[in-house]
Amino acid sequence: MRIYLLAGLLVLLGTLTQAQRVTGTVYEQGPTGKVPLPGANVYWAGTTLGTSADEQGRFSMPRSTQSNRLVVSFVGYINDTLTIGAESEWEVVLKSEQTLEEVVVQGNSTAIDRLSPTQTEIITSRALAKAACCNLSESFETNASVSVSYGDAVTGAKQIQMLGLSGTYIQTNVENIPAIRGLATTFGLNYVPGTWIESIDIGKGAGSVVNGYEGMTGQINVELQKPDGLEKLHFNAYVNNFGRGELNLNLAHELSDKWSVGLLSHASTLRNRVDNNRDGFLDLPLYTQFNAINRWKYQSEGLMAQFGVKALHETRQGGQMAFRPGQEGTSPVYGFGNNVSRYEVFSKVAKLFPHQPYKGLGLIVNASVYDGRSYFGRTRYDGRQGTFYGNLVYQSIISNTNHSFKTGLSYLLDDYHETYRDTTLARTESVPGTFFEYTYNYLDKFVLVAGTRLDVHNLVGTQFTPRLHLKYDLDAHTTLRASAGRGFRMANPLAEYYGNLVSSRTVVFLEQLRPEVSWNYGLSLTRDLHLGGMHATFIVDYYRTQFENQLVADMERPGYLYFYNLQDQAYANSFQAELNVTPAKRFELKLAYRLFDVKQTLGKPFDEQILLPRMMINRDRVLFNAGYALPYDKWKFDLTVQWNGTRRIPRMGTEHEHGTFTYQNMAAELAPAFYNLNAQVTRTFPKWDVYLGGENLNNFRQANPILGASNPFGRDFDAGQVWGPVVGRTLYAGIRYKIK
Amino acid sequence: MKTILFSVLFAFAMTLGAAHATDDKEKVVKVKTSAICGMCKSRLERNLGLSKGVKEANLDLKTKVMTVKYNPSKTDEAAIKATIVKTGYDANDLVADQKAHDKLPKCCQKTAAPHVD
Repeated sequence: MRIYLLAGLLVLLGTLTQAQRVTGTVYEQGPTGKVPLPGANVYWAGTTLGTSADEQGRFSMPRSTQSNRLVVSFVGYINDTLTIGAESEWEVVLKSEQTLEEVVVQGNSTAIDRLSPTQTEIITSRALAKAACCNLSESFETNASVSVSYGDAVTGAKQIQMLGLSGTYIQTNVENIPAIRGLATTFGLNYVPGTWIESIDIGKGAGSVVNGYEGMTGQINVELQKPDGLEKLHFNAYVNNFGRGELNLNLAHELSDKWSVGLLSHASTLRNRVDNNRDGFLDLPLYTQFNAINRWKYQSEGLMAQFGVKALHETRQGGQMAFRPGQEGTSPVYGFGNNVSRYEVFSKVAKLFPHQPYKGLGLIVNASVYDGRSYFGRTRYDGRQGTFYGNLVYQSIISNTNHSFKTGLSYLLDDYHETYRDTTLARTESVPGTFFEYTYNYLDKFVLVAGTRLDVHNLVGTQFTPRLHLKYDLDAHTTLRASAGRGFRMANPLAEYYGNLVSSRTVVFLEQLRPEVSWNYGLSLTRDLHLGGMHATFIVDYYRTQFENQLVADMERPGYLYFYNLQDQAYANSFQAELNVTPAKRFELKLAYRLFDVKQTLGKPFDEQILLPRMMINRDRVLFNAGYALPYDKWKFDLTVQWNGTRRIPRMGTEHEHGTFTYQNMAAELAPAFYNLNAQVTRTFPKWDVYLGGENLNNFRQANPILGASNPFGRDFDAGQVWGPVVGRTLYAGIRYKIK
Repeated sequence: MKTILFSVLFAFAMTLGAAHATDDKEKVVKVKTSAICGMCKSRLERNLGLSKGVKEANLDLKTKVMTVKYNPSKTDEAAIKATIVKTGYDANDLVADQKAHDKLPKCCQKTAAPHVD
């Protein structure tokens, strides 16, 4: 027995000493040539055998019988895979990830971020060009996870929804600065013009703690065109059949090796009165928007800094066809108006460590003022918000790049002042906070992100926000992700249910509103497939958002809009399955189905408790998208079909003042299912793009989107019950002119 | 409503069919250029690819030779060379258009040292 053991040991030792090793050096491309890169991960693809490069960038590891493909990876750099033959000494030059942007833009239109621990979809500028019109609210047309909800029939505000909840529960950032929040949630998506957008990241479920505590169902980050970007000039003109016109001009100029300056500008207007459904109301509000960003960027090897100003001015006017500005307040003609001014200054400074790319120190500071003045018939609503935000983030590693962390301090100051009729709502929030997020990365195969933040809120006390993300590659083609986390936000009822103010409903605050608190749990699976030689990706995910407290906006009872705190329970379950297939080069197909189960306990005004499906949320949705492009995108064709299932809507008709309305015996009403067809054709010339397209090509319209339209000052008037398109078929054409 | 759906689908199918239609006439030309880096490559390939009659343009950065597949009834060698020259690069014995060359990013101009990207 012993002899066998000894012999076995000898054989083992023999193989060990005989085993060939692969050695080499990892470099990065510096400005003056290649520089050794310490700390990179080196491992055999598909195995757990790995090592990391030493301080001189040297590595040495045994050959593997399981794989001949050696992966070299490092945070901030693009992975490199080597096929190892007989050679044993290797030189690897890693490219910085900054060049990745270009790769993404050239790639498929919707990409899934494979390395991210959160389930993240990226909408590239290529996909954005598919939906030519016009701003952030319309940028999700070809995306299955985010859908547009129809707000009301008068104001033109567009909202999005994700995981069965409205856009207010999504943390929407513009270049990592919280942007669409507070009073700006009403029209905020209309304030980000489409041509300014470079790409959009959509993260589902709990997000990173670094950007704050407000994200409940997900986070959207919008990257804008950069001052040092490839496009030196981008001019866009757009017009549609309703007479909406739009001009965009982006300029980028490099002043020196280090300084660059950029301008993003936008002007759009609709002056044409449209009433296709002949209800006496404008189908689309008249409006004019001016919007611009000017920013300066400094980039050197050790420092990146940006400073900028944003300014926006928009006027809107809707209501009855006969209404003219100046008649507001007194007239027997119903009018809606909204004037918004928003100004912002921001700065982003990052200290970089060229020889330690995993390390960074960044400071974001921004300040903004928002001033909105509205009227709905004889009712006035004005809101002002001043915001100051600062976020200091430090990131580094713990001993090696398997363990990294981000930590920092934040401060948020929000000053709200709203008046509605004769009620004044004012509050000042002052929230200093701190956060820590740890990431464990095992060869990109297993990633764990555990983060927590602690925020001391002056009005509602200390808030603790833990969040956890896991990513595990089951094999080279299958990735499993899980996430869980808490979200917290202060609701702004009037801004969030703005469209419902265009009604004769009496607004009642039943009690002092508490902050909204939710927990989100999610699970997703991504798998790459080969279907008869075609490349395909299959994604299935399930998310649940459970509220500890939610702002309930109860519109069940005709004539009333009640706001109160959640009594029993509110939750949103979302299931989605998506298949992306590339049957041929430059030909992409997407088919997605999603199911929502969203419920809320209602009935407080009558001391009842009944769990009801949330209004205006359709349970089923199917999305189909097909895109085909000729080489160099000479011609591009795109077609999207959406099918929306039935949804619960408020009971039509009137309530007798002393009738027998109760939540228990309330009749359920359903809006019909409908589908929606969009298509676009683009022709590309070396410097020009010309596009022609249509939305709602099947010309579906909700019948009678405004209840009681004939008597807007009467008891039954309500324009806030819109579940489908108000205007019919939209045809548009536009040009883009670019100098690279 | 249905007619529109069908016409859009039909247009779609047409383009797909057209794209797969086989080409019986196709000529190939090789042109030596003054391209330097990956940016030059994508710029030249794009401008050629979007010009009339060109089916495929592929630049080998090592040899700087551009291989162009084209339809001889729609374009010819002279026009292809002219496109390269107008983009700011030499095409065989033809010298780059000076104005276009000067507008190129510094890394793509002839004075730039050889580099990878």
